[in-house]
Order: sequence, then C-alpha cells, then structure tokens
Amino acid sequence: MSALSPYDLIVIGSGPAGQKAAIQGAKSGKRVALIEQNREVGGACVYQGTIPSKTLRESALQMVQFLQATDVFEFRMRDDVKIASLMTRLDNVVRAHGAFMAEQLARNGIERFHGRAKFVSEQEIQVKGLDGTTSVIRGKSIVIATGSRPRVPDNIPIDHEHILDSDSILSLVYLPKSLTVLGGGVIASEYASIFALLGVQVTIIDSADRPLKFLDQELTDQFCAAFENTGGHYRGQLKIQSAQWDGFSKVITRLESGEILEGEKMLVALGRVANLEHLDIQAAGLETTPRGLIAVNDHCQTRVPHIYAVGDVIGPPSLASCSMEQGRRAVCHALGLESGDAPEHIPMGIYTIPEMSSVGLNEQEAVEKFGGALVGRARFHEIARGQISGMTNGLLKMVSDAKGEKLLGVHIVGEGATELIHIGQMGLLYNIDIDRFVENIFNFPTLAEAYRVAALDIAKQRKR
Amino acid sequence: MTLASTIPTQQEESEALRIRITTQLEQGTLDLPLLPVVANQVLQLAGDPNADATKLSALIQQDQALAGQILRIANSPAYAPRSPIVSLQQAIAWLGMTMLAGLAFSVSVQSGIFTIKGYEKEIRGLWCHALATGLYGKEIARRIRHNVENAFLCGLLHTIGKPVILHLILTSQSNHEVSPWTVLEPIIQEFHISAGTKLAEVWKLPEPVQEAIRLYPDETYHQATSPTKGAMITCLANHLASYALASSSLEEETLRALPVIQDLNFYPDDMDALLEVREGIQQSIEAFLV
Repeated sequence: MSALSPYDLIVIGSGPAGQKAAIQGAKSGKRVALIEQNREVGGACVYQGTIPSKTLRESALQMVQFLQATDVFEFRMRDDVKIASLMTRLDNVVRAHGAFMAEQLARNGIERFHGRAKFVSEQEIQVKGLDGTTSVIRGKSIVIATGSRPRVPDNIPIDHEHILDSDSILSLVYLPKSLTVLGGGVIASEYASIFALLGVQVTIIDSADRPLKFLDQELTDQFCAAFENTGGHYRGQLKIQSAQWDGFSKVITRLESGEILEGEKMLVALGRVANLEHLDIQAAGLETTPRGLIAVNDHCQTRVPHIYAVGDVIGPPSLASCSMEQGRRAVCHALGLESGDAPEHIPMGIYTIPEMSSVGLNEQEAVEKFGGALVGRARFHEIARGQISGMTNGLLKMVSDAKGEKLLGVHIVGEGATELIHIGQMGLLYNIDIDRFVENIFNFPTLAEAYRVAALDIAKQRKR
Repeated sequence: MTLASTIPTQQEESEALRIRITTQLEQGTLDLPLLPVVANQVLQLAGDPNADATKLSALIQQDQALAGQILRIANSPAYAPRSPIVSLQQAIAWLGMTMLAGLAFSVSVQSGIFTIKGYEKEIRGLWCHALATGLYGKEIARRIRHNVENAFLCGLLHTIGKPVILHLILTSQSNHEVSPWTVLEPIIQEFHISAGTKLAEVWKLPEPVQEAIRLYPDETYHQATSPTKGAMITCLANHLASYALASSSLEEETLRALPVIQDLNFYPDDMDALLEVREGIQQSIEAFLV
C-alpha cells in the first residue's frame, strides 16, 4: 500500500459526469485524481450507451437511404456490407471518441488511476488494480460518478447469446430475422426502431399502453405509426411471465395472459441500476436509497458534505447532457465557485426513428399550471424543407398560455427534432413571446420554419 | 549399409513430414473428416424423423469439423442466404431442422471418417480442447457483455488446423505405421495455424473467425482489428481450456499473470469466476463424449 497522497478532488468514474467534474476541478487549478475501472475513459456513454447507439442509428439511416438509392442509380451493395460495416463504423467512432476524451483529460493534467475504487473512510479511497495490488489516495472533495448498467430482471435469463441486454446487443455479428424487445422506455424504443428500419421483425412488449409515456401522446402516436410502417409492432398492457431460449432457434416469451410469443433474439431493456457494488459507500457514512441510488441535494451534495454524487447514480433524468452539468456544478460548489443559475428547461432528446424531443410543459401540464393552454401545430409535410429533404413525417407542437402569448413548451417528432428543439429552449429561457416567432425571419427553406407556422397556428386561435 | 542407417531417425522422420505438409499446404488440398463418434451420432439423429432438434443443434455446436462444414455449406450459393452466415446459431435458425439434418447427414457421409487407430486418446484431447475453448470463449464474452456466438465459434474453430495436419499425416504415410505422438505433436503445433488459416480461407469461414484462427496466440492477438475481439477472447479461452483439461500444464499463478487478462480488463474476481466454471465445462464435455 502506497503512502497517502492528498488530492484537492477525487472523481470516481470517467463518464460524462465524471469527466466534466474532473475537468472543472483541473481548470480551477486544483490537483485532481480520476479513478476509472476500465482501460479506456468515457464510461458506458462512450462504450455501451449514448455514442454507440446514436452512431448505430445514424449508420442505419444512411445505409437505408443508400439502399433506397440503388433503384435510382443502378448499383448494388454487397450483402455482407450491412451489419459488418455498421459495427466497424461503430467501433471506429467509439475509439475516436474515447481517444479524444483521454487526450482531453491528459491535457488538463488530471492524474488517472486505472482500478476499482472502494471507500476506506470519508476521505480515503482504495484503488485496486488489475493485478490485485492496492493503493490508497486521499481527497478533500470526492465526486461519485460511477454510472449505471442494464438491470437484470429475476425472471429473464439474460445470456448475452439469445437474450441480450443493451450492452451485448451492440456486438451483434448478424441481423436476426426477428427481435422481441422487452420494455417501452428510451433504450427499448431507440433500438427497436433502429432494428426495424434494418429489416428485422421487431415486437416491443411493455406493460404501458404506449411507449415513452412521459412524452406528449401526439409524438408517441406518430412514432408508433412510423415504427409500424417499418414492420414493427408495439404490444402494450402486457406482462411477462417468463422468457426462455428453446434450445434450437427461438426465444419463447410467455405472457401472463397465457399467450406465447416467439423471436429469434430478445433485447431486455427494463431499466438500469447504479454501479455502486464495489464502492462500499457505507465506509464513507453513505447509504443507498430504496431504489439503489445515492440521495443528494440541489448541489449534488450527499449527506457527507465533501462527497458529491452525479449522473446515473443519483437517478433521473439520467441524460448525458444533464450528467455533464451536474459534474461541473458539483465541483463548482465543492470549490466554492460561482456556478451560475440552476439549469431550467432541460431538453429531452429521444433518438428513435424518427427522433423525438421535448422542452418545457406539455398541453396537460400547461392546463394544470396556468388553467388553460393553446397548441400550435406545424407538420413537416407543410414545410418546404420537409418536402425537399423527404422529411415529411414530422410534427412540431408549440404550447402557449391560454391567451396565446407566452411560450410554455415545444414538442417535436421528426428527423432533426433533437437539434430543432434548441430554438424552443432558447425561447423559453428568454421568455420569448409567441409573436416573436411570427415577426422574425428564419432561413428559407429550413425545418426551423415550423416554429413560425406553429406560432401562426396559435395566433389564429386567440380570442378576438 | 548398417541397419542403423536404413531406419529413419525421429529427426529425419519429422523433416520428411514437414516437407510433405508444406507441399500439401501450398497445393491447398486440405481435408477435414469427422470423428467416428460424431459421425455416428449425426447419422442416428438425421435418420430419425422424431429426433430432437436441440440434440442436433448441440451436436453441430460441439464439433469443429461439423461446425466448419455446416458454415461452409450454409454460405454456398446453393442455400443462398440473404446475408452471410457468420454464426452457427444463425445457420441453425436460417436452415431449420429438416435442412440441417440433411446437411449434417451429407457432411457425415461425404467428409469421411478419421482413421485414428493408435491416436484415439490424442484426437480426443484435441477435440476436448477445441470444445472447451469455445465454451470458455462464451464465458469470457458474457463477462465483457460481448458477442457470445462469435466468441464460441472462434474458440471451437481456433485449432481447426490441428486435425487437418493430423489427417494429412495419416493419409500420406505409405507404410501405415504409427509414428510416435512425440514426433507428430510438435509438427502439428508448428503447422496448425497455417493449415487452419488456409482451410478457413478455402471454406470462406466468417472473417472474425479467420482472424481468430490466424492471430489467437499470445504473441499476435493484439494485431487483430475485428470489433468482435474474437482473437483476444480466444487467446485467454485457449489457456483456460488447457488449464481445465490438464492443470499440470499450467500453474494458476502463471495463468493469472497472462498479459491478455490485463488487455481484457479482467480483475482477480473476474478470473475467480472464470476458474469456477471449470467443473461445468468439464461436465459439458464429458456429457457429449458419453
């Protein structure tokens, strides 16, 4: 065991939250140690989550567009290009992003420790290396950013061969004929729509009556319609009794209703659990909540004042974008630095096909909060850019107060939704009136024009 | 001429074998027959209309030669897969029970049976090692949440060159005399990668499998570029199989210090878990042999 080494800040985990926490510490002139149990930095976001799933999505979209063009340009793509090229591109993007993050940490003078962290006391952390040797480091402030992993339900034997989770599905070497997806959340819906687009017969099974229930129903209705168009099926209000490999060629799913469903492969996407099992947080005076998370205040501070927790270990929203900001703000608070106003109007991006994105209040929330609301709609097929780019399957909904003056929320489904949402976010942050969207000029032709069309739709509903 | 000068020494015998093998490898005329025990089981299952599909599936997934041949044929234009067949499970799902049984039957009849008199124990050892490597490959892949099917196939086929070389030696010996295993083993070891690589190319086995066959040893796995990590996984699986089947060949301490363990980012408890499945893997192999 080496001698105790004092650090101003120790960050455990190098995902989006941990990385931003470490960089904030280093940029503030502090001595920072970053502990990561994997060889590469970046966490699940880079290797099993956000980056690979979005890369797979973009590659699948490009490939399908390319294949559709074969009729026009009279060429033929080799059959084996499909999955191999998808996976190779995925690997290349992931490697590049991982290398970039490692270089960024090194450039900021952050000391990296490759090993598993375990609390010895409130300020001491043991780092156990791959060879089993241990060292202990000491920190004035500590940030826990160890992320999460897919949840394994008791009644479903995930073998990563026939029954996969959202990690192992990323290393498929061929496209199955059919895929049963358990879960109706973000990860389930994203992968379901990607594989359906690639020609796999996908069936989503979930207990909710529609996927992504936290989103505006018009958005999810349009998503479901697009999903069905690619051959996918959403089967809601169903409960799983068991799922099992038949030993030959199919995964058999038994529902509580007695119905039996079959699929060549199964993806289980029924939530995630925080990575805390090696950390021994009890040794630091901390404990987990009943949901297996770490409780924090508005500054991401735990009940032990110099220990902070950020990212997936503190629970929703579990968005990479929020986790990064949590990391930065936690360290600012720990170091007594000004961190700016707490973020409001955080946009949510769902990378399904088509994309969905949302910021602010939906219609129901607006009615509950302000006693009424007006909704303006712009359909992408009415927008010139939508027609030009073939992106006619989209909708932008703008929600205002009952007078049709104050912008309260924006909800978009369609390609480009996750980029387009930021206009609405800025509008909300700066209290832009609905009329400002009508009176100002947007580039033409762009999808942003949908904001103007939706604002006009609200304006014409105003009581005269 | 004395008697001593007419009887070839082991060194001369080895040299003669090397020349014959090199010639055959250059000509590319490689063959891989089935083991008698495997062929018998296939013929029984394929001829039984009530045969259990899972048994045939298990049989195909436990034998190098059968697995390789099924992949080769499933990818042939005659069966016109919509996309290349890169896994045994994919082949099974694609072909279905009836066609699979027919294919397995024709492979068993046409590939010939190993002439193994005098080498039964050694051939059984090669077969056990290949299957154990495939099974350990699965366990390693599961721990890193990586593709299990590919890891298994790479492990099962990584030493496919060994029976090829042995068969080549046995069929080319004109006097049908049994050379001592001590003469054959180093030659098999020396040539199995080039023979396996050649066979994998000729049979058009999936690229990740070809890469694992070519690069699985400790000295070369880091040259592999496939995202499936088949060569790296097979490298460790190969060592674990050797340890499980003949622990005297490798100290546990040596096994735990292998560089590939660090490259796979395995901590001591990951290795503990892998070593714990030893009994299960031994039982799987024994069950098949019975």
